[in-house]
Order: sequence, then C-alpha cells, then structure tokens
Amino acid sequence: MLASLQRWFAPKPRLTAEQEARLAAWIALPAVDAKASHLRCVVVDVETTGLNLMTDTLISIGAVAVVNGRIALGDSFYVVLQQREASRKENILIHGISGTVQREGADPVEALLAFLEFMGKSPLVAFHVTFDETMIRRALRQYLGLKLKHLWVDLAYVMPALYPPLAYSHRVLDDWIGRFNIRIQVRHNALADALATAQLLQVAQACAHKKGISSIASLRDLELQQRWVNGVS
Amino acid sequence: MSAILPSELSFVTRHAPFDRMELPHVLWMLERMDVGYYASGEVIVSPEQGPVDRFLVIKQGKVHGEQSVAHASETDTWLELAEGECFPLGALLANRRVASVYRAGSDTFCYELPADDFRELIGMSAAFRDFCTRRIANLLEHSKQVIQAQYSNSSVEQQSLASPLSAIVRREPVSCSPETTVRQVLEVMREQRIGSMVAVDEKGRPLGIMTLHDVLDRIAIPQIDLDQPVIRVMSTRLSTLPPHALAHEAALMMAKHGFRHVLVVENGRLVGLVSEKDLFALQRVGLRQIGSAIRHAESAEVLQQGAADIRRMAHNMMAQGVAPEQLTQFISAFNDLLTTRVVDLECKASGLLGTSLHNGMCWMALGSEGRFEQTLNTDQDNAIVFDVPEGMTADQVREKLLPVAQRINETLALCGFPLCKGEIMASNPKWCLSLEEWKHTFNGWISGGSPESLLHASIFFDFRPLYGAQHLAENLRNWLGRTASENSRFLHMMAANALRNRPPLGVVRDFVLGKGNMLDLKMNGITPFVDAARIFGLAAGVTHTNTIQRLRMSASKMNLPLAEIDAWINALLFIQVLRLRHHDESSMQGKNDEAMDNKIDPEKLNELDRRILKEAFRQARKLQSRLALEYRL
Repeated sequence: MLASLQRWFAPKPRLTAEQEARLAAWIALPAVDAKASHLRCVVVDVETTGLNLMTDTLISIGAVAVVNGRIALGDSFYVVLQQREASRKENILIHGISGTVQREGADPVEALLAFLEFMGKSPLVAFHVTFDETMIRRALRQYLGLKLKHLWVDLAYVMPALYPPLAYSHRVLDDWIGRFNIRIQVRHNALADALATAQLLQVAQACAHKKGISSIASLRDLELQQRWVNGVS
Repeated sequence: MSAILPSELSFVTRHAPFDRMELPHVLWMLERMDVGYYASGEVIVSPEQGPVDRFLVIKQGKVHGEQSVAHASETDTWLELAEGECFPLGALLANRRVASVYRAGSDTFCYELPADDFRELIGMSAAFRDFCTRRIANLLEHSKQVIQAQYSNSSVEQQSLASPLSAIVRREPVSCSPETTVRQVLEVMREQRIGSMVAVDEKGRPLGIMTLHDVLDRIAIPQIDLDQPVIRVMSTRLSTLPPHALAHEAALMMAKHGFRHVLVVENGRLVGLVSEKDLFALQRVGLRQIGSAIRHAESAEVLQQGAADIRRMAHNMMAQGVAPEQLTQFISAFNDLLTTRVVDLECKASGLLGTSLHNGMCWMALGSEGRFEQTLNTDQDNAIVFDVPEGMTADQVREKLLPVAQRINETLALCGFPLCKGEIMASNPKWCLSLEEWKHTFNGWISGGSPESLLHASIFFDFRPLYGAQHLAENLRNWLGRTASENSRFLHMMAANALRNRPPLGVVRDFVLGKGNMLDLKMNGITPFVDAARIFGLAAGVTHTNTIQRLRMSASKMNLPLAEIDAWINALLFIQVLRLRHHDESSMQGKNDEAMDNKIDPEKLNELDRRILKEAFRQARKLQSRLALEYRL
C-alpha cells in the first residue's frame, strides 16, 4: 500500500531533453478521424504483476496493428519493462517472463515512448479495456507525466453486440477465440494475446461490414449500446 | 520497430518448406506478411481476381480448392488444404490467374505475402525455391489446369457446329423482287450493310442470290447497265437447307461447292441466310463430323477443309485440357485418316485402284507420324513398300507407282503437310522399294554405320503401315526387330550418335541457347528422348514405334526402373505440351506452316514453365546417362 501511495504522489518524472522532444512530437501528432474506414487501429494487451489495478504494475506490452481488416505482422510491437523487483513466483508462472528478463527489461520511459510512437494516434482496441487502459494510463502518467486521453474500443462489448445469440454463453476472451477457431500459441504472452485479439477484431470487422458498419467510431457506438444493454438487463 | 512473434515463427517453422529455410529468410518473410481473415464459405482466391497477387499460408482453418474451369458444380471439392499448407503456388510462379476457386472451409486465417515479395523470396532462399518447383508431376498437373483455364475463355464462346441453322440465323433475310434494278439492290446493300441479297418470287421462294463478291465479277468489270433487273446478274445456282439442318452440314456444303452462303428454306420459302462468316465462329467441330467428312471426301478441297478442321479440333482439345499423349495420338489418327483418304483418292484417280499392283503396295508413315507423335506442324515423311508380282521386276513396279506417289505427295502438301526438304517421300525412287530392297537397304545401314546411315535409320526405323498391304510392313518390322537387336555394334553407334545431341543445359543449370537466344524444343527437347527410346526399343525387340510405348515396353528387358521411366515420360510430355502450345499460338496468330517452328525464347516463358522445362531437360540428361552406361560410352 505504501508503495502505491509513493508512486501516486511521486514528483513529476524527469525526462532527458531528447525524451521530452519525442513526447512532444507524439502529442503534436494530428488526431485521426475515427469515422474513416480503413483506419489503422492498434490491438493491445498487457501483462502485469497481478490483477490488482491499484497495486500491480505493468510488465510487458504487446500490440498488433490492423489496417483495412488485415493484420500486418511486420507492424507489431512488444516490450518488457524493467522492474525494480521481479514479480511473485506464482505470477511468473502465468506470464512466463522470468525474473531475470524482468530485471533486464527496457527502461520504462524508453519502453513507453516507443509504445506511443508505435501507436501514433491510432485508436486502441482490447478485450476488457478497463484493465489494459488503467495499466497503461497509470504507467504513462508515472513515467512520462502524460495523461492519456485516447479512443479505446472494447471487443468484450462489441462481440456480443454483433453476435447477440452468443452474448450469454461467451464471456471471456477464450470463449470468443475458441468460437472462431483462433488459437493462441503461447497464452498469457502480451503479444500472442494481442495477436489473438487482433484476429477477433478481424472477425468482428468482417461481421460488422456485412451490417454496414465500417468505421472504428461505429464499432465504438456499438460498444456503448451494448454497455447500455448490459446495464439495464 | 517490429516484433515478430516467436510463437508465429515456431508455427511456420513446423511446416514445409519453412522448416528447411534459413531463419533470416523466414523472418524476412514474416515481417512482410499480413494476416487475413475469411469467414467460412468466403472466396479467398479466384480466377476472376486476375493474376494472383499474394502467397498464402493457412494459419488456422481450412481451405477448399474447387474446380471452376470445367463445368463441375460449385460444391465439387477436389482439394482440401490444411493448416500450414501454402497456395496457390503454380499460378503464382506462372504469374497467372488461378484455375480454381479457393474458398474458406471454416473460419480461416491466412498469412499472406505480396507476390513481389514472394518472388524475391524465391530468389533469396534455395530451400523455398526447391519446394515451390520440386514435384514436377504436380506442377505438370497444374500447368495443365492453367492451360485449360486459359483456353476455356475462347472455347465457351464457340457454339457447336451441331446446332441447327435455325439457331444461327439471326435476322429476317433481306430480299427483293427479281425485277428490282441492280442499282436499287446495290443501294440497299450499302445502306443496310449486308453482304448479299436474295431475290424471291411473290410466294417467298428464292430465285437468285447476289453477293458482294459478285459485284466485281458480274457488275463492275463487265460494266453492265445498272438499270436492268437484278435477276439477270444473280447466281441462280442456289444451295438450300431446311432450318433443322445442322451447322456442320452448311459448313460442309460451303466447303464442297465453294459457296459462301447457304439459304435456309422452309416449305420452299426463304427464312434465312447463313454465311461463311456466321459459321466461322462455330469452331468446335465434332470429331465424328470431321472424321466422316474426311472419309467421304471426294476432292482435295474437302480434304483441305478437313485438315483445317483437324487444326481447330487440336486447339479445342488443348482447351479441354486433353493430355499431350492423347492429343498427339488424336492428331495422328486424324492425319492417318486424311492421308489414307488422299492415297485412296489418288490411286483411284490414276487408275491404280483394283489392279494387282494396288493390292501389293503399302503406304508407310515415317518419322514423327510413324511414332504417332505428330504435332500441327509436321513435314511429310513417307515411303512405299511393295510386292513384286510374277513376271515383273521391281523397277517396273516402281515405274508405275512413282507417278501415283508424286500425286499423293502433292495433294498432301495442299492439305498442309509440307513436302519433305530431305526428299524423304514415296515419290523419291530411293524410298519406293520392294520388301527385299528395303531389307537390303536397312541391312546396309545396320552393318555400315556411316553418319548418313545412322540419320536414315533414325527416320526410317520408325515406319508403320498406313494404307494397303499391311503384311509387307509387318514383315519388314519383324525382320528389323530381329536384325537390329542382334547387332550390338550398330546399336552402340546409334547410341553414340544420339549422345551428340545434348540437352541444352549449362553447368550452372541454366539454358544454353542457340541462335537468337532461342531454344529448339524439337531438336533439343524431344529428340533426345525419341532417340534413346528408339535404341532401347530396337535393342529389346519392341515392335511398337511410339516413344512412350518403346520406353515402357523395353523397361523390363533393359532393366530400366519404372519410376525413372515415368519421370522421363512426364518430362517428354511436358516439352510436347510447350511445343503444341507454341504451334497452336503461332497458328492462331495466322502464321502459315513455313513460319511455324519449334523455337521458343525461354525468357518469354513464365517462371513455372521455365523451371519445369529445366527439370525436363535434366531428365533428358539422365536418360542419356542411362544410354551411355548401357553402351559404355
């Protein structure tokens, strides 16, 4: 608890002039039009030291770009963030990133800048956004002093909106990817999970396209509707 | 910055050919790949998409290939591809459209590499290249499908000559009364852009026809009075057929009588007009019709038409994907039919028919015709073997037969078989011999072994009877089988001679080209196989003259492994396909026979054909090595 409070009230992080410039360059990037079709979007997944949004920290980020309904394998991103101390043993067993690798990871400032540069202003897509968004936002604030305001689309709501009959039987990511024969080679690796999620986005976009929905903005609308449906039912 | 998934790498490297490729090449490929998603039932690649633009590896799901070129139903699955398999290799290598529709059989994800990167990878990675071009049999199969797809476009447009004339007549015939003036008729023809005018009486019965072709001869040159009734300058020899008559009857009528138009008449009334041009589109001449037209032909003109039909038929058969082995056999069968009819007609015309000389002569096909391997462009190679009747000398018989042979050679030339430049024809006194003279001549070649004898042996020893007294040719064949197989010195020389013609492959496995950077498919491609098969056949006492039969039938006696024989035959057939396609394209471009050759520019071949051709030449080389081993050369 103390550690989290320390982080919370920590002074503004110090960046080098070069890092400041990179951050400024990212902030200056023009916003994208979410209503445009064929927009590049970035599917993201993170691994953390645990599931506690308040106390656990970011270990790795995996991201895959989807452009025009296609995943570009060359346009993908993976980084392990350097940890002050390795996460607990039971946690290591889940994500498979050993203590050594965790301690040898990239400097968090560099890692996060690289992630911003990879992402650009492309909308982010994830399955159960809240977790990934919170983890990423907190890390960005802690290490870069950046308050990220970004368009996120949550497939956990988009999928049931597109496939209403499956809404009750399909809850977690594994349900959906199993449904569409998507296999994850290494489960709980941020990049492998991001790739599987990206494949799920492909399925979602193909289905949405048949219903005349072709932009990220309309997928987001679909998500909001589903959130409302979930709220009232 | 890109992060290639170690897991994706481990997936692709579990499958061929990626498991044998160098890691940097696989990474290079993965970095350039997309992942595409296809819902179950969605088309992934189809012929309609044009030349294939990407190389696909199935990541998850399954893909069905469906035959689309033939008339098979949509559900007719002939190929199922599973995870880790790549497609459509052949079409990509050939830079063509696919011949089949590839459809997702379930929710499917594919790794996809742009075609340009695919080609770069082929150049970069030897393992990948080998995989893509490895199995010649498979690729040949594919090449056949592609040829089929290429041709099917042109053949669907062709209606059948078996359709009734009523289906061909497009509009009401334009007619006039016989009293209309020539001037008026010409004006109407110009206005309505029609090529002919039929004069009919008040009941609609046709009386005469005038065509544009007549204008010159009957009107312009004689400078006739344009105000006279048109019936005076019209042709009144009319060819008529009922509407239910078939198109090929009209075609035959035009061919027989030289008319350009046939009137379609019902109950005496003119209902339509069919021109040569209308029938021109109907190219799919049925085999039966051609056959019967040739068998019943009474003049060289009809036979010429038959020869043209044979060519068209060959084109259509290529379109239908008939294998080269059958195709050349068909061509040979029809050419046999044609030649037989020509011989028959000329024997009749020269009064030889029914005489004892006629009963004792046999017309023989030599060379490629003798081997049943004729293509569309084949010189005449023929000879006569005859019996000497009591009380006559061979010279006396020859004197009688030579003029007939001369006529036959000339008529065959008219039918599109060019006269042999080497004078290897029955009209040459040297090749119009009695059975005893032939044996003597053959014996001289076998025991002599001069370069000229060996050359002659390579042409004449492929003889087979076509017309007349078959037993004479059979007698000669059996005699030759015994004599040649016993003479190992002769076979040894034949082998040494055959080995002089090396397949045009260089040390770095590339083509060695002749003049103008051309490859001669016949000389460099076919001949090594034909020569080797002849020697094996003669050594094993095989009486068949066909190269493939010779190889198969001499296998056990010569201890040739069957797998190797199959590889040789496949290679030969592939070269034959290329050659037929080359001839077919040349003839479609309207080149005449002299302009047709066997020379191709390998640079103009697509990647796939080029590679298979190299493989085929390598097979020729292997066959020659086997021959060298056999005769210790």
